[in-house]
Amino acid sequence: MATQLPDTLPPGGAPVPVSAPARRARRWTVDPEIVIPAAVLLVIIGACFVWPLVGPVPPPVGGSILNAGLPPFSPGHIFGTDPVGNDIFSRILYGGRVSIEVGLATQLIGIAVGGTVGCIAGYRGGVTDTAVMRVVDVLIAFPALVLALAIADGLGPSEVHVIWALSFFSIPAFARISRAATLRLQGQTFMLAARLSGTRGWRILLRHVAPNIMPQLVTFGLLGMGVAIILEGALSFLGLGIPDPGPSWGNMIALGQGTLSASPALVLIPSVFLFATVLSLNLLGDGLRAHWGAR
Amino acid sequence: MSTGSGPGAGHGGIGGSTALLDVRDLSVRFQRRGREALAVNSVTFTVQPRQTLAIVGESGSGKTVSCRAVMGLLPPAAQVTGSARFQGRELIGLSDADIRQHCGRDVAMVFQDPARSLNPTMRVGTQVTEAIRAHQPVSRRDARDRAIELMSLVRIPLPDRRFADYPHQFSGGMRQRLMIAIALACHPRLLIADEATTSLDVTTQAQIMDLLLDLQAQLGMALILISHDLGLAAAYTDDVIVMYAGGIVEQAPTRQLFSHVRMPYTQALLEAVPQLDRPAHSPLPVIGGRPPDPGAPLAGCPFAPRCPRARERCREDAPPLAEQEPGHYWACWFPCQDGGPG
Amino acid sequence: MSPSTSGPAGRAAAGGGAAEALLEASHLVQEFVVRDYGGVKGGVVHAVSDVSLRIWPGETLGIVGETGSGKSTLARSLLQAPPPKSGAVIFQGQDLVGLRRRELLDTRRHLQMVFQDPFGSLDPTWRVADIIEEPLTAYRIGDRAARRRRVREVLDLVGLDPAQYGRRRPRELSGGQAQRVAIARAVALSPALIICDEAVSSLDVLIQAQVLNLFERLRGELGLSYLFIAHDLALVKQVSDRVAVMYLGKLCEAGPAESIYQAPLHPYTRALLDSIPSPDPEAARKPAGAAIRGEPPSPIHPPSGCRFRTRCPRAQDRCAAEEPLMRELGGGQSVACHFPLSRPAQPAAQVAGQTERS
Repeated sequence: MATQLPDTLPPGGAPVPVSAPARRARRWTVDPEIVIPAAVLLVIIGACFVWPLVGPVPPPVGGSILNAGLPPFSPGHIFGTDPVGNDIFSRILYGGRVSIEVGLATQLIGIAVGGTVGCIAGYRGGVTDTAVMRVVDVLIAFPALVLALAIADGLGPSEVHVIWALSFFSIPAFARISRAATLRLQGQTFMLAARLSGTRGWRILLRHVAPNIMPQLVTFGLLGMGVAIILEGALSFLGLGIPDPGPSWGNMIALGQGTLSASPALVLIPSVFLFATVLSLNLLGDGLRAHWGAR
Repeated sequence: MSTGSGPGAGHGGIGGSTALLDVRDLSVRFQRRGREALAVNSVTFTVQPRQTLAIVGESGSGKTVSCRAVMGLLPPAAQVTGSARFQGRELIGLSDADIRQHCGRDVAMVFQDPARSLNPTMRVGTQVTEAIRAHQPVSRRDARDRAIELMSLVRIPLPDRRFADYPHQFSGGMRQRLMIAIALACHPRLLIADEATTSLDVTTQAQIMDLLLDLQAQLGMALILISHDLGLAAAYTDDVIVMYAGGIVEQAPTRQLFSHVRMPYTQALLEAVPQLDRPAHSPLPVIGGRPPDPGAPLAGCPFAPRCPRARERCREDAPPLAEQEPGHYWACWFPCQDGGPG
Repeated sequence: MSPSTSGPAGRAAAGGGAAEALLEASHLVQEFVVRDYGGVKGGVVHAVSDVSLRIWPGETLGIVGETGSGKSTLARSLLQAPPPKSGAVIFQGQDLVGLRRRELLDTRRHLQMVFQDPFGSLDPTWRVADIIEEPLTAYRIGDRAARRRRVREVLDLVGLDPAQYGRRRPRELSGGQAQRVAIARAVALSPALIICDEAVSSLDVLIQAQVLNLFERLRGELGLSYLFIAHDLALVKQVSDRVAVMYLGKLCEAGPAESIYQAPLHPYTRALLDSIPSPDPEAARKPAGAAIRGEPPSPIHPPSGCRFRTRCPRAQDRCAAEEPLMRELGGGQSVACHFPLSRPAQPAAQVAGQTERS
């Protein structure tokens, strides 16, 4: 009545026996689809966070007006300077820090809060589920930009406030994903087996549900990080994100658009970095999903 | 459609030059994570018109893969070598368009799980007419009439009323009948039932098998039954092929096979199946171990590591499949002697 | 009325002294509400309707049924997952129905289950040793070292080398190995009764035989009782002392395994037996039309009176009007039918090796 399972190893499974180090090595010598975007991201993150600490990078603000408007590849300023005299390369690096911090923070908060809430709602079902998900629905229904505007307006623009505003959306998004994944998991027999083994609810959530839904959440988080970075860019562009003169890729684009025809580099360079980062995040997310899904 | 007689005679297998399907040295290889796996190893058999043949084996034996290779249903990553001639026409290596032509029209296949083989969002009548119109240029009304005809042929009650129903409104047995109706849409000469009754209840299985055999007689089709169930093969077929680890290990007319089992593997299968006439709690004679990894083929007989009759020669030298008694082929150096199953 | 409780094999296996059934289910009823679009109540699936049975210590009770018979639902109801709508489940003297969670966990310790899909019942992110240790941890058995010892012990018991298999994950196991791990987990707490829900149905023939032999060996070595659920009658008969046949949520027949197969009393049992393709090609093929007609009815709208009457070749008016109750007909056999087939098998006919079939 059921499909026959062969008593050979499942296809693609490790041959028997395989030493532990060999198994670990095999797991990571994988797809270029994962390795390449991961490498690009590592380079960008390394550049933004580590390079200014060790390399000769001028400060991103407080440049002298005498240096204003230098073109790219000028001596000492590889990307040139902006109309106020700040080194663009340095602003790119420091601006990248902001973007990455915002992206990472919003997703981590989303997973921690939204993921947990959704997971509990999905597991317990019933009234808990209904109540939680209606709250989540309300949050999702909020128009994104309007809320960000309100927060920025009310609290004043800053990086932390941007993170709060964007977390407002990442939390319900993760809650939905996590709940759906948990519900799917409920149908699996091993969940029933765990309950019959006597394991308590919270322990089931922690040791059974969480490890199984984590790949989905991480993939979603990578894609969401890209979205958050772009949204931060948009907010900063509108003047609601990082205030002048602190650099962020978004407000660099905003500042640069006034002199777009004269010095397009001011807009193009931060755009390219934004693009590369978000693209790598997306590709990494897709690659990981394919890799985990295939296992 | 006449059966026709093509070239490809003289192979000496079951039947001769009028074979409907003539498979020779069919092999299928897959690439898996850099290693090559031999799923089907040089399989040769023939199917005569109106014959009922069972291909029996456990999972991984290659029974499904070989038939799908004949139908052209394997993914592009599969490397198929050898020959499969249907009424003289070579099927291996056909272009996609040609496969679509012959698949469903000359040879049709019914799969295991009717719940997943039918489109749940499409009315069943439409799925049948789709199959008809894919191969024959008929008007929609003619196709509908033909579809209703087919549905009553497979004993679906009130076919004109049920034409507009969705698959979930049918039971498992009825869905399988629908699959059979779709398969019969263009009067195939050969019907392959791939574990078609495995997911069904035993009572439903009996009904479906009766239906298949009646249809076969009525429409003059040949029938290949792929199954892991030896009992099914014994009860319903003329000839049996037993496959293990991608190759044929024994083949014979059904009566002959079950009364004079030769291959230790076939013997093991027969003994391992719980029988009604054995007392409860009697230990089942059991063969330990597992089938060989298709990516790491062994020298010698593939069953040797597990075979209770294996000796040195078996491990070194793979026994060829040969006709050792009239009509009865096996690949074993030390076959079982007479004594029948169990 | 409950079916035969005096299974001779069961009593004998229990040493002739045990007076109390290990598990007694009385008048179990389980239903599910089917919701249409929009959450509107569409109908009620009568999955299990008034089923009563007993399992004695040391015996194996087999339950045979096809799709929709309710056998799997019955198993889960016994475990209170979810609890039945009504009825009692008395296990080792205590009624499980309605117990609070903590008490249920305590009482249910000696009642375990092995599922059909070996891979589905193992968490893919866990290692084998942890999977088997889980029930020990949940019930706080011993300390870490003691638990690890027990894990190695049960792995050995099911024929898997702890050194080689302990650190593997389920995807590195074959179907048979995965099912052995599931069995090891079930056995870790030294249960009294194991419910096997189609536990070998997904396995290849040769592996199935290995696992069945494992069940038998554990039965002898550990003194286990089993509730063995399957759709394959020969399989059930292989391992059971007594057999019960279910159809559409109700018990049709129950009795000693040998008697059921030699002298079935219920037409449905007869139809099941006749539908099995025999590996003896000399046996004439019986047309299915004689055995059973039509399609199984929906469990949402079961037929009135006897639920089998729409497919029964012997049905008469009384069958539609009046529901037959289980009654004992002697020889340990009970049947729920107004017109049972034949007299029950004589006790002398239960000697092993009797090959005549009725």
